[in-house]
Amino acid sequence: MKAETPRADPASAAGEPASPPAGKNRPLWLHLVGLPGVTAVAVLSAMVLPIPLAVILALFTASLAAWSAAALASRIRTSEQERCSLDAQLVQSQKLAAIGEMSAGIAHEINNPMAIIAQESDWMTHLMSQPQVTPENLAELRDSLAEIVRQVDRCKAITHNLLNFSRKMDPILQQEHLERIMEDMVLLVEKEAKLQGVSIVRDYDPELAAIQTDVPLLRQVVLNLLLNAFQAIPGQGTITVSTRPAGADRVAIAVADTGAGILPENMSKIFNPFFTTKPPGVGTGLGLSMCHGIVDRLGGAITVESEPGRGAKFTVTLPR
Amino acid sequence: MSIRILVVDDEPDFIETMVKRFTFRKMPVTAAPSGIAALKLLEAEPFDVVIMDVRMPGKDGIETLKEIKKRYPLTEVIMLTGHASVESGMRGMSLGAYDYVLKPVDFDELLEKVRKAHERKLLNEGRNAPR
Ligand SMILES: Nc1ncnc2c1ncn2[C@@H]1O[C@H](COP(=O)(O)OP(=O)(O)O)[C@@H](O)[C@H]1O
Ligand SMILES: [Mg+2]
Repeated sequence: MKAETPRADPASAAGEPASPPAGKNRPLWLHLVGLPGVTAVAVLSAMVLPIPLAVILALFTASLAAWSAAALASRIRTSEQERCSLDAQLVQSQKLAAIGEMSAGIAHEINNPMAIIAQESDWMTHLMSQPQVTPENLAELRDSLAEIVRQVDRCKAITHNLLNFSRKMDPILQQEHLERIMEDMVLLVEKEAKLQGVSIVRDYDPELAAIQTDVPLLRQVVLNLLLNAFQAIPGQGTITVSTRPAGADRVAIAVADTGAGILPENMSKIFNPFFTTKPPGVGTGLGLSMCHGIVDRLGGAITVESEPGRGAKFTVTLPR
Repeated sequence: MSIRILVVDDEPDFIETMVKRFTFRKMPVTAAPSGIAALKLLEAEPFDVVIMDVRMPGKDGIETLKEIKKRYPLTEVIMLTGHASVESGMRGMSLGAYDYVLKPVDFDELLEKVRKAHERKLLNEGRNAPR
């Protein structure tokens, strides 16, 4: 955290330029980022930088339009019903809004570490341009490098999550029973849950046939929903997991909890990347957006119902 | 076609049971006592499915999983754990584990998971095959 505040630069006091021209520190920056074997940041820059301005503009306009449409839709809905329910699939435009929000979120999350990295590498450039490297300078260089590594790790955590749900890979479809997909994740959560007085009720449909889906991807969704349910229950409570047929060609899995529920004003935001009501360190706000992304790729839909104070129920419908 | 299985665990008893049970079913299995040893074996010969304990001294299961998925993305990994940790489960699954299973695990169930993991690898290979 020491570098959050601008560092006094003796060089600028001595009348030297405080920062070298932008083109000069770039190779160093890239080099340092690549140093700890972190390609994530580079991948992200590659992902972000070459996007033509037009696309960004289009996204921006689209998300504006989407935002107003979503706002209107949500106003109509909330006035319509006390028990609020959000159909994530219904408001297709919200996905675009999410992209807009995501860009802002990424920019914000990455900018701080980037600023520190830039500052530290400027400082290193300055130190290394000295005719002689004194022991003090060497210590300073080490310090700066350690700080850069720390900041890169911070970025890595963010991009790791991002890449995970933006990965373009097609799902690999396998025949598997939903129960089999869910149960390992349920068992994983159950032990910790039990210790906290949260019991898990299984309501699997024994007749339900196997479906064609990407097994590990769906497991990630289930685990995220279970963790959210668990985190939403302040004291004792119950999580109910279920599987059901949903019409002739679809199935549904649901994770319901008796926790705090979701405030109506948050209903339209919970699937947005970086939206979280949890303290830093507990929540990243990436769980549900990742779930949404995965379910989308599996050709399904994710919906939520909640009565604030009484709990929430997330339902994932999938093709058979 | 036989499945090339690698079991990674620092617990000799567990390894021994695993080897015995797979061998009984005429399935070849190789064992490694640590993450480092597993990576060394993988360097020398390809494996289809890795069954690995999460908690190991030295390079732990999660770190080894990360390394395996980086170097051999098509190799499927089933993580076993004696201590349920949701956080570790989330990491494992998002790093690309096929499954994250609580010990003790029923052998027949594990076998079924290994078959499924192998099937996934074959599907993945088929898709990645040059056209
Ligand atoms: N089961 C639930 N009950 C109440 N609120 C929930 C539940 N699941 C998700 N939420 C709300 O949605 C937000 C976003 O969830 P998520 O994307 O998983 O991020 P995170 O869990 O890191 O906050 C949470 O912070 C919480 O406010
Ligand atoms: Mg979450």
